[in-house]
Amino acid sequence: MKAFEYATALSPASARDLVADRGAYLAGGNDLLGRLKEYIESPEILVNIKSLPGLDQIERGQNFWTIGSLVTVARIEQDAEIRSAFPGLHDAAAEIASPQIRNVATVGGNLAQHSRCWYYRQRDVQCLKKNGDLCYARNSDNRYHSLFSGNDCISPVVSSLATAFAALDATAVVLRNGEEQRWSMAQLYADAWKMRLAHNSLQPGDLVLRVEIPANRPRSVYLQVSDKHTFDWALVSCAAAADYVDGKLVRPRVALGSISPVPHQVEAANDFLEGKALDDPTVATAADMILAGAHPLDHNAYKVPMAHVLIRRALLKLKG
Amino acid sequence: MPAWPTNNKYISQSTIRVDAVAKVTGRARYSSDIQAEGWLYGMILRSQWPAADISSVDLEPARKIPGIKAAVTVKEGSFTVRYYGEEIAAVAGTTKQACLDALRAIVVKASPHDQFVVKEEDARQPDSAPVWQGSPNASKPRVRETGNVDSAFPECAAVIEGFYSTPIQIHNPMETHGSTVSWNDEGVTSWASTQGISSVRDGLAGALSLDQSQVRVITDFMGGGFGAKFGAGVEGVLAARLSREAKAPVRLMLTRFDQALAVGNRPSSFQKIRIGALADGTLHAFEMENYGTAGIGAGGDSGGGGGGANIPAPYLYKVPNARVNQWSVAVNAGSSRAFRAPGNPPASFGMESAMDDLALKLGMDPLELRLKNDSNKIRQHEYRLGAKKIGWKEKYRPPGSSSGVVKTGIGCAAAAWPAGGGTRSTQGEAQISPDGSIEFRIGVQDIGTGTKTVIAVVAAELLGLKPSQITVRVGDTNYPAGPGSGGSTTCASVSPTVYDICSNALSQLQTLSGIPDARGDNWFAACKKLGVSPLTVHGQWQPGLSADHAGGVQFAEVAVDTETGLVTVLKVVGVHDCGLIIDRLTLESQINGGIIMGMGYALYEERVMDDLSGVMLNPNFETYKVPGISDVPEIEVVLVNMPERGVIGIGEPSTVPTAGAIANAVANAIGVRVTSLPITPAKVLAALGKVPPAMKS
Amino acid sequence: MKNAETTGGKTGGKTGGFSRRTFLKGLGTTAATAMAAQTVAVAEELEKANAERVFGPGAIPVTLSVNGQKLKLMLEPRVTLLDALRNYSSLTGAKEGCDRAACGACTVLFDGVPVYSCQKLALEGQGHTITTIEGLSQGGELTPLQKAFVEKDALQCGYCTPGFVMSATALLANNPSPTPGEIKHACAGNLCRCGTHPHIVAAVLQAAGIQNENKTEVVNYASLADE
Repeated sequence: MKAFEYATALSPASARDLVADRGAYLAGGNDLLGRLKEYIESPEILVNIKSLPGLDQIERGQNFWTIGSLVTVARIEQDAEIRSAFPGLHDAAAEIASPQIRNVATVGGNLAQHSRCWYYRQRDVQCLKKNGDLCYARNSDNRYHSLFSGNDCISPVVSSLATAFAALDATAVVLRNGEEQRWSMAQLYADAWKMRLAHNSLQPGDLVLRVEIPANRPRSVYLQVSDKHTFDWALVSCAAAADYVDGKLVRPRVALGSISPVPHQVEAANDFLEGKALDDPTVATAADMILAGAHPLDHNAYKVPMAHVLIRRALLKLKG
Repeated sequence: MPAWPTNNKYISQSTIRVDAVAKVTGRARYSSDIQAEGWLYGMILRSQWPAADISSVDLEPARKIPGIKAAVTVKEGSFTVRYYGEEIAAVAGTTKQACLDALRAIVVKASPHDQFVVKEEDARQPDSAPVWQGSPNASKPRVRETGNVDSAFPECAAVIEGFYSTPIQIHNPMETHGSTVSWNDEGVTSWASTQGISSVRDGLAGALSLDQSQVRVITDFMGGGFGAKFGAGVEGVLAARLSREAKAPVRLMLTRFDQALAVGNRPSSFQKIRIGALADGTLHAFEMENYGTAGIGAGGDSGGGGGGANIPAPYLYKVPNARVNQWSVAVNAGSSRAFRAPGNPPASFGMESAMDDLALKLGMDPLELRLKNDSNKIRQHEYRLGAKKIGWKEKYRPPGSSSGVVKTGIGCAAAAWPAGGGTRSTQGEAQISPDGSIEFRIGVQDIGTGTKTVIAVVAAELLGLKPSQITVRVGDTNYPAGPGSGGSTTCASVSPTVYDICSNALSQLQTLSGIPDARGDNWFAACKKLGVSPLTVHGQWQPGLSADHAGGVQFAEVAVDTETGLVTVLKVVGVHDCGLIIDRLTLESQINGGIIMGMGYALYEERVMDDLSGVMLNPNFETYKVPGISDVPEIEVVLVNMPERGVIGIGEPSTVPTAGAIANAVANAIGVRVTSLPITPAKVLAALGKVPPAMKS
Repeated sequence: MKNAETTGGKTGGKTGGFSRRTFLKGLGTTAATAMAAQTVAVAEELEKANAERVFGPGAIPVTLSVNGQKLKLMLEPRVTLLDALRNYSSLTGAKEGCDRAACGACTVLFDGVPVYSCQKLALEGQGHTITTIEGLSQGGELTPLQKAFVEKDALQCGYCTPGFVMSATALLANNPSPTPGEIKHACAGNLCRCGTHPHIVAAVLQAAGIQNENKTEVVNYASLADE
């Protein structure tokens, strides 16, 4: 790491001032410090935001829950009420990385984390996302990369929480220039779809404040497949959430992670599932709709059948 | 003629590791923990190019960084680097931070080569960019033949052909390579993380133009080696030179990034095997073409193995008509070094995969095919023991028979490790004090295998004392020379040596004290008669107490999710030759360790090189995947105790057959074979025909 | 290297404007009374007192409470907790296996909770309770878990051992009767290359007072050969 200054902010406004155009917010530090160690970026000041008031609460409201951006992933895993209300969110959290990482990782940090593409993370490769000329993954080893892309960069979003939140139709509340923005997960990652340099829609100075989750999907599921059984990035992940009344889906949502720069959701598939029973043909049709247009490359085509299976299993698991 | 005692109190029982408490409390000081007076931190600058001509290296900006006390280049003048990660220069400073800043300040003038080659199939092409100027990347094929292969194949009742491949595997011990070195007017002291203190001493003396007697190497604790930690290493010599310039000790440990790139790996293999048998299953004809890479070439760095990428073939089974054609290809990547049973795991994987494929063609049970063709009597028994434990008779079904989405299967494979005997030159000594305390000193290393404990157990048994009454000191070139810790030879080297020391000790004590049997209860009385002077007794390795050749068989049971491709190993049964068991506890740990490492080879590990940029894509634990605790299956071990053979080794045979057994179990489960390691979910899905074709990028 | 157990060590000349005296003056009496308070309160106090102040980039005084002792060091903000322990003090029990939060050899307890000390800035350890492997066996007595590791041979080279012991210690503090699955979940962030995993699970079960038998069989070849 290059040398940097360090300060603790006590208010979002001062955090923003301290960061200015030369710094970075430091929450858990899992991702940020990793990037600094490889000199992918070298902020001049790290601003500790862990003392910002009011961002570390889990609040259970009438119609929606609020999870503060400083709530740790471990806390989400361990919270019995979260587990009961949003089992998919619990399962996503429980599989993130390792206990040591979960103990310091925050919701905001998990959502804001940068690409894990091994060309991006390689200290000596100047890939497209680092303002280079070439997406190496497109032309070389793309085994971990996207099936869908909106620009030349094929690095997928890997935030497990984003996938789970997407299925729960959660809203990220982000403070930008003193004003609160309310973004769906699709909007939170829209810039990554559009712009090769972007990891998400956050701009310097933006601060994730909290995530609001509507309480109207009592069933939720999260599944992932990795090469290893634990402590391994998902090859493909799938979150599904819905209400289930009289054997029919109500407000169903299915989202996939690790196959697109955004949590991959197909509105037409969600619409198709609305009011349907959870049987094999329905689920297979939904999976086809969700994966329509997938563009498998030389090394990641396996993600297509893998995603298909996870969609089917996640939906069927909603039945309980 | 020396002989091991029987009816032992400690030998063949379970004795707690003598250094366990030190390790579990954090008191054990490893090479990376040494804090010599005034020590400095050292760091290496590495090539960011896969191939480049370096015309100059300017260290001056680095020297100006506050805290930097020394800076050296690896070579004087201009030179060529041939792989991503090759060493260029090094610095030493008062902090890690100063060193990081200093490395970034060094100015390297380089002309990167337009062309380089990092993949074996590219290096095979005659027009591939030469790694070494003027040499083709592919070595001359070496052909060995026995019998008459061409006439033998038509005589076979069944012939199969397969193409089996294994990746580059990185040792990745938990403690990286490196040392703390102090070079002053008195000479050099190196606290090295090594498997061979003598090899480090010789390497440093040679590189620094010193007398060997001026170099002392100390390794009290070290964090694993698996074959790569022999010799001084480029990093060891750099540390010494930095120390000389800075006039202070320098601790230079490799980073995990460095570790993955530059200090060795297991060569890859691409084996085309054709094998045929007669109707009754007798193997009759075998043909193999194999190539692999040892990186830029084994050369002098290969310490204890190397020899390119050749593997023993036909592995383990005798085939009267065989032709083996092997060659290596050089690539611009870090060169290979001996890695736990060099050549054997890939050889076993290829051969045992082919055996199962052949059994299928013959309509024979794969276990029966092996029993028919493995003449080793011990393994015949081991197969039967293992088959019973895994439930072969009940569980074996034709491939793909398992119903449901998650299919189970079983497979087996064998190991025949030729080495493992004792190193004849091993020496040691013991100092016996008048109060009865005894300290053994042997210049050997305990790399986690339990060598210190073996010494204590053998000594305790022979002297009639308790292991806790034996002080063991190892890992110092000031002690009588012991073996390098490799080849599965350590236990068989030190045990007879300790035997000899104890015989000599008892003999001398008995003479001095007049007590006819100085063991056990008489020990303290005998020692008291030493008066005020301790007695130092020397000893050396004796024949007749150890043997070489260590084999074994393993069975694996797996569950494969045929929709996601995920392989879960449910159980591994290992049945291994153990000769005379010295300590059950540490022995079992070694077998577990070999199996788990073999599982990593089977399912998770591979070095990934990028042919666009020439870099290694996974020089870390994030994407170079070693087994985690949740991946480890239930392991059941059967120790075949053969005291009549004397002491043999276990470290390597235990890792040889695991990948073959797992690969066979997977093929048995899903009815189709994944022929390349690691067996990832992606490859399983592809083998099952579930992966759609790629689209244009 | 620098071991400013006492202040005024010889470190890095350019300290970016913060001497220990001004640091303490800024704290006023808060530091003294905070010492006796809960760790969370101390951390909060320190953070409030130091809030908005810009430290570094040069070395600044950092006081860490490790194993019940105070370590007074001069560290740049970029120094990690692992680096501080291993290179600025004599606490080399926590190991550097990767420096990238991927292997667990550096695991320490941070207010009782396992974290990767390689990915934590040392200065963020101020006001928190840090426990390393050296801090477990108070007065030379091994904890039941450490004893179990020894008895079950849950270690080989031992380099990963401190990390595993810390993770398992935290597990047993919260869950005195874990299942093998829970043990594996708690230790998922620790890597071992020697293959100690089966013995680790056995050791943690033993420490929890849960019976677990070893299935290793010894067969005498001589009796086999007679068959």
